[in-house]
Amino acid sequence: MNIRVRIPTPLKKLAGEQDIVLANGNTVGEVIQWLTETYPGLKERLKDEQGEVRRFINIYVNDEDIRFVQNLETPVKNGDQISIIPAIAGGSSLKRRVTLTFPPEKVKEPVIYNIGHRFKIVTNIRSANVTENVGWVTLEIDGEEGEYLKAIDYLKGIGVKVEPVEKDVIV
Amino acid sequence: MSYIKGLKCRECKREYAIKPVHVCEFCFGPLEVVYDYDEIKKNLTRAEIEGRAKTMWRYRELLPLDSDPAVGRNVGFTPLIKADRLAEVLGVKELYLKNDAVNHPTLSFKDRVVSVAVSKAKEFGFEVISCASTGNLANSVAALAAEGGLESFIFVPHDLEKGKILGTLIYGTNLIGITGSYDEVNRLCSEIAENYRWAFVNINLRPFYAEGSKTFGYEIAEQMGWRTPRHVVVPMAGGSLITKIWKGFKELELIGLLDGVDSKIYGAQASGSNPIVAAFKEGIDWIKPQRPKTIAKSLAIGNPADGFYSLKTIRESEGSAEDVSDEEIVEAMKLLARTEGIFTETAGGVTVGVTKKLIDQGIIPRDESILISITGNGLKTQEAIQDRVGRPLIIEAKFSEFEKIVTPNQRKYRESIVQATI
Repeated sequence: MNIRVRIPTPLKKLAGEQDIVLANGNTVGEVIQWLTETYPGLKERLKDEQGEVRRFINIYVNDEDIRFVQNLETPVKNGDQISIIPAIAGGSSLKRRVTLTFPPEKVKEPVIYNIGHRFKIVTNIRSANVTENVGWVTLEIDGEEGEYLKAIDYLKGIGVKVEPVEKDVIV
Repeated sequence: MSYIKGLKCRECKREYAIKPVHVCEFCFGPLEVVYDYDEIKKNLTRAEIEGRAKTMWRYRELLPLDSDPAVGRNVGFTPLIKADRLAEVLGVKELYLKNDAVNHPTLSFKDRVVSVAVSKAKEFGFEVISCASTGNLANSVAALAAEGGLESFIFVPHDLEKGKILGTLIYGTNLIGITGSYDEVNRLCSEIAENYRWAFVNINLRPFYAEGSKTFGYEIAEQMGWRTPRHVVVPMAGGSLITKIWKGFKELELIGLLDGVDSKIYGAQASGSNPIVAAFKEGIDWIKPQRPKTIAKSLAIGNPADGFYSLKTIRESEGSAEDVSDEEIVEAMKLLARTEGIFTETAGGVTVGVTKKLIDQGIIPRDESILISITGNGLKTQEAIQDRVGRPLIIEAKFSEFEKIVTPNQRKYRESIVQATI
């Protein structure tokens, strides 16, 4: 199993200074269990005395709040991304949406694959239209501000037009 | 003399010193101010309060400042009105309005929270005040920052009502319209708050800011003769006000200024932005975020920060929650204006409309005391009703022209006056 778990900044030092931990499990609950066994310091931070996930911690699988799916029973599979996000802290782990417009000479290059590998970000294509000559992709980018900005600079540097998508974001 | 002991996490109860923080670093729960109620009880009496100036600061022992307020010294103590004409229309015996549509200086209940937050920001030594706002907060932060001589940055959804934009810009602030919903504005502000040493009144100063809302509750209790109404209807956006009115009542009971609190608290939202009402009706204690669409823009928060605690307040007090459509909001605004002469904003249409609905449903009984919270002024949300109130009749300045437009019903007065002259 290979589930990517995004660790919020305040808990990073309890997870070996990692932003993203590769975890195991078939459900969100199992992944959280695996996390708290692998990094025992996370246990009391993520769960209360009754063993419930703390009220002001929200968990997302890919784009979806697990409360809208099957909560801790939500199944996860290889390549899924789990985000642990403090409900009212905001900031450190925001998803951002951008529209990328590719010039003809870049249409055939694996640009999105490249940014996912060069920088510590997770990309998720929300909508796209690519033809022979021109293409655009609306991309959701999850990751820390610094990595996000580096990815954006890289994209601009290779001639991709980057525009923020201001609407249509709800977490 | 300050009675504040510190900050405490509402979830895991960990304690923190007084500083500009709002989230528990351990469990991410919200922080709340803790007071020394035993000492307050020894020192504060009804008579003492009654002898003070008629502002919200007459309850200063229960507010989180260390010194005298730096701004907003005249905020609060707005009218409590016995609304007999509206009561007759709604078919109820005893109805009151708490009218913060005329709060000083910016005509909404937000002046209560902002005067606390800006004063606290000055105590902390901040030089820039900021906020995420649906409009009323923007007006108030801009005004009170100006009074305090502080720079301000205000973030709002770009499509706010004109009155709220104008009523912010006039104070010489930096107003930034975000092309997105309030929830997106709020998220952006959380990020800015992590990177700039600014006092965000409803983010890093939230524990202090929110306390100002308690005075709305204190005033209701005092103005009713040191008792609380049996039924209290409160608008919900982020959900802070409803929890603080309840907290205010309970505190007065705790320090012996009320003999008991038998109030039921009702939460009111617009149908197009009803995440808290929906959770109440579903019987769950968590909020499903929404994308709001309603004319009640001041209540258009789809992911309310205090949603969980609002539900807790409603359930603990054995109240209820309801929402009304945009159409019902407009009708309720007109009803309030035409029965009581009070022009409230859309949020007031929401509370009046929800009260009517809860009475019609039999949830609020007709023979017990009811209080409706009016939290904002109608002049700020004119767009919502501009096509719904008719137009003036334009005529030439001639008596004959006037006579043409007088209806037969209105003519009867003319005749009676003519007879009286003869």
